[in-house]
Amino acid sequence: MDPMVFLLDTLVFVGIFMILTLSLNLEYGFTGLGNFGKVAFFMVGAYIYAITIQFGLPFYISLVLGAVVAAILGALVSLPALRLREDYLAITTIAFGEIVRIIFKAEQAIAGGVWGIAVPSIFQDLNLSIRMSVIVNLLLIYCMVAVIFIILQMLTNSPYGRVLRSIREDDEAVAALGKNVIYYKVQVFMIGSAIAGIAGGLYAQYLRFIEPNMFLPLVTFFVWIMLILGGTGNNKGALVGALLIEFISRGSRIAKDYVALPVDPHNVQFVLFGILIIILIMYWPNGLLREKQIQTVPERRIAHGDSVSK
Amino acid sequence: MEILSVNNIKKHFGGLEVLKGTTMDVKKGTMVGLVGPNGSGKTTLLKIIFSMLKADAGNIYFKGQDITRLPPHRIYQQGLSFAFQLPRLFFRLPVMDNLILAGREQLGESLGGTLFLRPAWRRQEAQLAEKAWQLLDFLEMSSLARHMAGELSGGQRKLVEIGRALMADPAMMLLDEPAAGVNPVLGKKIYQKLRTLTGQGMTFLVVEHKLDMLLGFADWVYMIDNGKIMLSGTPREVIESPEFYTTYVGEKKDAAS
Ligand SMILES: Nc1ncnc2c1ncn2[C@@H]1O[C@H](COP(=O)(O)OP(=O)(O)OP(=O)(O)O)[C@@H](O)[C@H]1O
Ligand SMILES: [Mg+2]
Repeated sequence: MDPMVFLLDTLVFVGIFMILTLSLNLEYGFTGLGNFGKVAFFMVGAYIYAITIQFGLPFYISLVLGAVVAAILGALVSLPALRLREDYLAITTIAFGEIVRIIFKAEQAIAGGVWGIAVPSIFQDLNLSIRMSVIVNLLLIYCMVAVIFIILQMLTNSPYGRVLRSIREDDEAVAALGKNVIYYKVQVFMIGSAIAGIAGGLYAQYLRFIEPNMFLPLVTFFVWIMLILGGTGNNKGALVGALLIEFISRGSRIAKDYVALPVDPHNVQFVLFGILIIILIMYWPNGLLREKQIQTVPERRIAHGDSVSK
Repeated sequence: MEILSVNNIKKHFGGLEVLKGTTMDVKKGTMVGLVGPNGSGKTTLLKIIFSMLKADAGNIYFKGQDITRLPPHRIYQQGLSFAFQLPRLFFRLPVMDNLILAGREQLGESLGGTLFLRPAWRRQEAQLAEKAWQLLDFLEMSSLARHMAGELSGGQRKLVEIGRALMADPAMMLLDEPAAGVNPVLGKKIYQKLRTLTGQGMTFLVVEHKLDMLLGFADWVYMIDNGKIMLSGTPREVIESPEFYTTYVGEKKDAAS
């Protein structure tokens, strides 16, 4: 492969994973909701996009549809679990991730079963070279990364974000301060799932072909390491984590061709990632970038006399 | 006029009957004390009033409305707040944010509001911050405003817990031993402040072991023992009654009495 295309392709994947990691950061980093089925919502977004774009829908409508369906599923999955204890959410989401993949694998008529589904590129009329077509996708994806990043920054650096962070700390105490905790949790889960759905749509558009085996639990695992490495509760950290881990992973793929090891370096990376996670959690639990406090509280007005006089 | 009525509340944990038909009334604009030995069910009763625990039987009325089955966040929105016996602060949030969070009806707390009503909620945020600063001044904690709540000492946590319950200007507050672990001068200052607030129509139900606080500040006292209200009256009446002496202070009077 043209090395330039390989680099650009890596950056496309970085962008997709940035979106996924940002969405997990909203759920887990800020709100404390452990979603271990991230890949399911990513997959739903990708398939809804792939299926609806066949009908000639405009690109952005398909993208939004994927996000909406993912959000609805997010609500359906989380609502029963969130009413119960915390750990039920983890179990439910893990199971959901597997179920979704099995359904798409079994469904032949619309989703193409194990053979997957071809996705017409929205740029196909432009007759672009391979390199240009990757660049165009790259631009599209990073525009979405930017938009999602800005929205999430606004959400988390605000009174809304303050409620989310406090839910993460002690959800019963937040309820005692008049906040409807279940409502917030489900809402966050829906937003996170919608964002993952958008990542799925962009992924399908870029690859022009999707099949169930692209959506293994490994994807969820990757998103988690990216978040933990980058720093939970920090949106910039999510971006950094996605960048680093994707580059390491790609690097191991290149190393496979150049280094003669008794084992495949691409497989060794999973051992390394496992060790990395343990080291991170033990020695660097905050990740590379630390959580930032909410910046919207104004400094005190000194002019206010009575307190200063004391 | 009763602002809160507790009606025949029963509660058991496993085989342990903690509340055996507790009934009490709290009049608007008063401070009512609740005393009783350790483990007599005081905290349990407050938690039931606030729906953090479910009663087996009985009803709670707040401002004439049956709130027994409302979830805590709705009860808070009705104007009742609760300062816990064991403070439950948000450790990885600054003290300031712990306080502001308690503000009611914040525009910036809804999804649409955060994104689209930015100027409006920034103004509201400034007002809440101002109020939080004043409370922190009062609690002598202004220098700690930007510290993480998890870094505070036990007594300081208690103070933030009380400050937080005051942030929302509630119609009524439930306070579970507000002065416990707080230095006596400041403890007294807090009670004085609460007392002035009753003058403005605010109501307090206070669990308190310190008899001088009850004598000095409460209008009415209930004594609970073994899950039942055994005595009620003015602080002096309750504290001077022989029954109070035997169950609470623990010194048995002579058989003659
Ligand atoms: N969640 C629970 N599960 C089981 N038993 C409980 C629970 N909460 C309280 N209890 C028991 O109920 C009884 C009353 O507890 P409660 O906390 O209401 O006492 P209290 O009157 O507030 O005491 P103190 O003055 O020491 O704070 C105790 O015996 C306690 O062990
Ligand atoms: Mg207690």
